[in-house]
Amino acid sequence: MATPAPIARRVRGLSDRAIAWAFIAPAITLLLAINIFPLLWAIYLSFTNYRANRPNAVVEGVGLRNYQRVLTDPDIWQAMQTTAHFVFWTIVLQTVIGFALAYLIDRKFRGHAFWTTIILIPMMLSPAVVGNFWRFLYEPQIGLFAYAASMVTGIPTSEIRMLGDVSLAPWAIIIVDTWMWTPYVMLICLAGLRSIPDYIYEAAEVDRASSWRQFWSITVPMALPFIMLAVLFRGIENFKMFDMVTLLTGGGPGSVTEVASITLKRAAFESWATGRASAFAIILFVAVFGLANIYVKALNKVKQR
Amino acid sequence: MTDLTRTPTKTSPKRPFFFRRGPMENIATVLIATGFLMLFQPFALVLYTYSLVTLLAGTVMFIIVSKFPE
Amino acid sequence: MSSANTAHSVVAPSDTSKRVAGTIVIVYALITLIPLVWIFLTSIKSPPDSISYPPKIVFTPTLEGYCNLFTTRTRQTPDYIAALPEPTSTCDEVTRKRNMVIAGPSNFLPRFVNSLVIAFGSTFLAVFLGTLAAYGFSRFKVPLADDLLFFILSTRMMPPIAVAIPIYLMYRELGLSDTALGMILLYTAVNVSLAVWLLKGFIDEIPREYEEAAMIDGYTRLQAFRKVVLPQATTGIAATAIFCLIFAWNEYAFAALLTSGQAQTAPPFIPTIIGEGGQDWPAVAAGTTIFLVPILVFTILLRKQLLRGITFGAVRK
Repeated sequence: MATPAPIARRVRGLSDRAIAWAFIAPAITLLLAINIFPLLWAIYLSFTNYRANRPNAVVEGVGLRNYQRVLTDPDIWQAMQTTAHFVFWTIVLQTVIGFALAYLIDRKFRGHAFWTTIILIPMMLSPAVVGNFWRFLYEPQIGLFAYAASMVTGIPTSEIRMLGDVSLAPWAIIIVDTWMWTPYVMLICLAGLRSIPDYIYEAAEVDRASSWRQFWSITVPMALPFIMLAVLFRGIENFKMFDMVTLLTGGGPGSVTEVASITLKRAAFESWATGRASAFAIILFVAVFGLANIYVKALNKVKQR
Repeated sequence: MTDLTRTPTKTSPKRPFFFRRGPMENIATVLIATGFLMLFQPFALVLYTYSLVTLLAGTVMFIIVSKFPE
Repeated sequence: MSSANTAHSVVAPSDTSKRVAGTIVIVYALITLIPLVWIFLTSIKSPPDSISYPPKIVFTPTLEGYCNLFTTRTRQTPDYIAALPEPTSTCDEVTRKRNMVIAGPSNFLPRFVNSLVIAFGSTFLAVFLGTLAAYGFSRFKVPLADDLLFFILSTRMMPPIAVAIPIYLMYRELGLSDTALGMILLYTAVNVSLAVWLLKGFIDEIPREYEEAAMIDGYTRLQAFRKVVLPQATTGIAATAIFCLIFAWNEYAFAALLTSGQAQTAPPFIPTIIGEGGQDWPAVAAGTTIFLVPILVFTILLRKQLLRGITFGAVRK
């Protein structure tokens, strides 16, 4: 390694430094053009009164007024709480069910690999296309979900209006998200459980620790970095949730399922208040960026295992 | 303490608290998490109003302190 | 699980605990499959069967949903239909039973082709750029490498609607709105981050000694990359490509906001399929089935790499 590079190589090929940049530059350039430049543009727009449906109107700087408006708007605040409700319950349900499934699959019963693959399927499908079909399953009269729910609870199907009822609609989107993404949490938890070396359990057996103790003092703490990773990623994803909710409820009934992304879409592409929408977009971006920092930290922690 | 028995390299003068990565990163993480709770909470509009500032502060701090050595 | 005094209660689970675990997992798996099975069953139902109460499990299968998916139809009088020549296809026959005739092809096929072109185009570009960048990050000392990698990853985490606002304006200026090229570039940008992270992991696993040996034999760095590294990384590249493909295939938010006609992909199109008097659920189900089948196949092919893909390469096994 320390010997100087052979002359032949230096003459015939490019220097390593040049190759490194030539290899990395195209990807970075594309990201600069399609991600960073638009982001900077959005930051600029967020300080103006620009409206995309009136491209010829005079654009004026409005200082921080857009941010002020978004951050004092009770409707947007309401949308954040709707998002919070969605994010909180999806994470709780997915973590509990996902971890439980991983724990069971880790028993390595016969055929566990096959059934794991089956469980993983929903996660790979298009949230929009599948979300759209769930609308049919949720139909009060003809839908399978309402039919099954009424068989279990005894409530007549016409009253199980999952998408039309103000108190049920938030749960309708939580159910679909949980159905889709529990496998994701399960898969990562399973990796966490499998990363725990057997000798730790063997040592615990020697110490005659009960299964219950082993679970809480070995299994859970050792799998925790993995659980954190899954929780953070699902948190980020669901914080910006758009497609599935748009197709299931479109934010309705009223605005009980209007999560942040839907409010943003309405401000940007229906009211055409581009400046204000950009300010809102930047706020969401800062929030996601903050979480992404923590996520990468968690990622590195897991990588070291 | 047993400091005397250690080799000098091991007890090399610690960087002041504010220039060490570990604790500062945790503070930034807490700040970001607080910002998130402020954004999400249903109790006071004023907390929601200041959530962006908190998030921004936490994120900027995180980026800066992640450059510090351990 | 049963007792603490069996010396191997956790390390090697007992038969009973295995059986219980297996039963619960299988029941869960079967329940999660119900919506998917229902999509398929609905796609082979006739429209009246699909909206019957209670939901029908036993019915006569028909291709009507698929016919309706691919065609547009107009209503005609029974006399007009009786006067027509013999039906030439199953779809003709099915349509006529409902007092309609096929008027022409629907938009589904072009939308599906758009999906194919955009998904494959962006996957190819993302994997190409990603492989180069991943090799660069893996083998050379790049200044600020960690920051660049984080920057690359964070671009994937941006909320799509937040990006869509300026992209919409930019594409309007550049004339890229509602074009396949615009969508390919956008999806490439989103996918390149995943490609770099995943491929860097795969390339990191190839020992440097292989290239160094090749270079001592007189290969240039580029030749060593092409003839030594690339063949070794084939599995990784294939897995990465499938992940990119699935993302581009499934994407909805950008497609719905930035395309409306020409370049529209299948996800925003499928929900708009309507028949007489509301959503034509068998046709929607047929479109959904056709749309989902490739992903099902890929998921099964990819099952060993799935974990790696969803954690950006952080978790290997």
